Amino acid sequence: MGDFQMIAQAMLQVFTFNNLFMILIGLVIGMIVGCIPGLSVMLGIILMLPITYTIDDPATAIILLLAVYVGGMYGGSISAITLNTPGTNSAIATTFDGYPLAKKGKVKKALDTSLFASVCGGLISAVLLLLCASLITKLVSGFTSVEYFSMGILGISLIAGVSGNSLPKSIISGMLGLFMACMGMDAVTGVTRYSFGTNTLKYGIDLLPAMIALIALTQVVQKLRDFKLSGGKLDDANKIDKEGLTGKERKSIIPAILRSSAVASILGAMPGVGGGVAQFLCYSEARRTSKHPEEFGKGSLEGIAAAESSNNAVVGSAMIPLLTLGIPGDGVTALLLGAFVLHGITPGPTMFTKQGIMAYTIILGCLIANILLFPIGLGMTRTVAKIVQVRYTYLAPLIIMFCFAGSFAATGNTKELIICAAVLIFSYILTILDIDNTPLMLGMILEDIMEKNFVTASMAYDRDYTIFLRRPISLVILVLTVLLVISLMKMNKKIEALNAANIAEMEAEHAKMEESA
Amino acid sequence: MKIKIKTNLWSGIIMGALSLILLIIMPYQVRVPAYDSGAPSPRIIPGMCLVLMLFFSVVLIIQSLVFKKERIVEFDWQKEKPAILLIALLCIYVALMLLVGFIPASAITFIIILYFCGERKPFIYIFTIAAAVGIYFLFKFVFTVSLPAGLFF
Repeated sequence: MGDFQMIAQAMLQVFTFNNLFMILIGLVIGMIVGCIPGLSVMLGIILMLPITYTIDDPATAIILLLAVYVGGMYGGSISAITLNTPGTNSAIATTFDGYPLAKKGKVKKALDTSLFASVCGGLISAVLLLLCASLITKLVSGFTSVEYFSMGILGISLIAGVSGNSLPKSIISGMLGLFMACMGMDAVTGVTRYSFGTNTLKYGIDLLPAMIALIALTQVVQKLRDFKLSGGKLDDANKIDKEGLTGKERKSIIPAILRSSAVASILGAMPGVGGGVAQFLCYSEARRTSKHPEEFGKGSLEGIAAAESSNNAVVGSAMIPLLTLGIPGDGVTALLLGAFVLHGITPGPTMFTKQGIMAYTIILGCLIANILLFPIGLGMTRTVAKIVQVRYTYLAPLIIMFCFAGSFAATGNTKELIICAAVLIFSYILTILDIDNTPLMLGMILEDIMEKNFVTASMAYDRDYTIFLRRPISLVILVLTVLLVISLMKMNKKIEALNAANIAEMEAEHAKMEESA
Repeated sequence: MKIKIKTNLWSGIIMGALSLILLIIMPYQVRVPAYDSGAPSPRIIPGMCLVLMLFFSVVLIIQSLVFKKERIVEFDWQKEKPAILLIALLCIYVALMLLVGFIPASAITFIIILYFCGERKPFIYIFTIAAAVGIYFLFKFVFTVSLPAGLFF
């Protein structure tokens, strides 16, 4: 079946009541979670994961999670504008101009700009994803299990290279993840590995409870701790007025949106870069090319548009390496890879040949989610902004209960609850040791795929382990791994310094503004 | 009380020791299959992970002791005490869930957690208990998963 035929069939599949309803739910939940500072988009996706178990069609499940991602990226800007606290890391640059504009009483204008830019950025990258996916999969269609194993090494190394402050620590974290996923019964030989004679570990550590503990529970505990330390004080939020974005203003921000979406789409497609980095580069680029660079940091609509279009543009383009190569670019896409695995889908070129319609249904779902973000954003932003003002003591117990219930639902075995608690303690120890847990999570997710490919490759080549270095494409991937990790680390260090300077400059600008007010 | 933790050194020591112990006990924890199916040994992947962990733990220790490259994290007991207590309470929550079931365990634990966090509004307590009941039935009837009912029921 050709690509166009598959797209046509996927089109019919995506426009079902069920899918559209899931997209709407996902967008609203994403907006809420993204909006609350301290809770990330990842938490939103994790909370939705157990629910997706009840959905029969894996494509619908993934579409729901993608809608949470899309909604969350926009949601982060709501609190960035109303509270000057970005709801997610990807909305830091939105505070640069969003908050000053809100201080001038033009909250609605700032929010409208953010929504319009988010939708445009998201749409552009989703179209890019649709166009590139099949092209890339054709390029890598000659991959065998040897190359897939090497790609797994590339994936873990890239995440290790860009997360946390120290490469050795991140590699240790990734290896720990791989090791933890090895525990329990080995699917090939039937041998039990590191179960320590306990029933709890006999069947290994299930992915869902581990991810829930590593990401969601760790975040909620930290947020509750902050609530306790601050005595439950809430920041004052700016009230949303009624004056929205005019047609002329909308036209004026389009060049900034297009430029940022293009830059962010390219950056987002590079594994290990992500929305956090793209927003600053796009913001700087928009300021450099703007006709009014002096307005940046004082409430420039172009500034908000650049930051917001970039972080939503990353959503679609970050899916390119994930869907075509099975390599996640950051924590959120790593989590999405986990969701794919839990639903029995292995992203990569075979997905486009064997489950092509499903692959395109997911891509089109991402596109529709970006389109629907516009009406949902217009209708729900005011309500969602109010949720930020809800006391955290309402939300935390709900999230914790849902987390434990969700991890239990993974297999229906009480051992999952014990594993959840144990991983939570372990995750806290890692935090104290300043070891980032994203590579650990990715290690856990990739272990199954990597070991399967390792076993297949070893058996095919009569246990000749040098095959990973002798097959040219595999060797190229492994060499690329080293080169990419080194260059990405260098690049990220430079960008971090640039971002820190940017943030300091903007904070000084805001302080000056508040003084004069 | 504030403790300065040399995280590179301590990560190296703790992770190094952990990987070394796991490597030493590998022959007892991962038995070699009785017959050869042609598949690689089940020890290879965990073995590679542990060797790499050990190697990079040594790198961290060398970084810290020889090159004096260190990242110090200040462990402020006053700040961390609530987090540690909350984690302990969540572990008790799990134990209670296994003993008395989801709803009673949630009611007991979250009353303690909310009180500990300084929450004094009665409505939030009522809301939380109602939410526990709601989640129990949501999972039972919508997701068809019966959450733990405890040992006594």
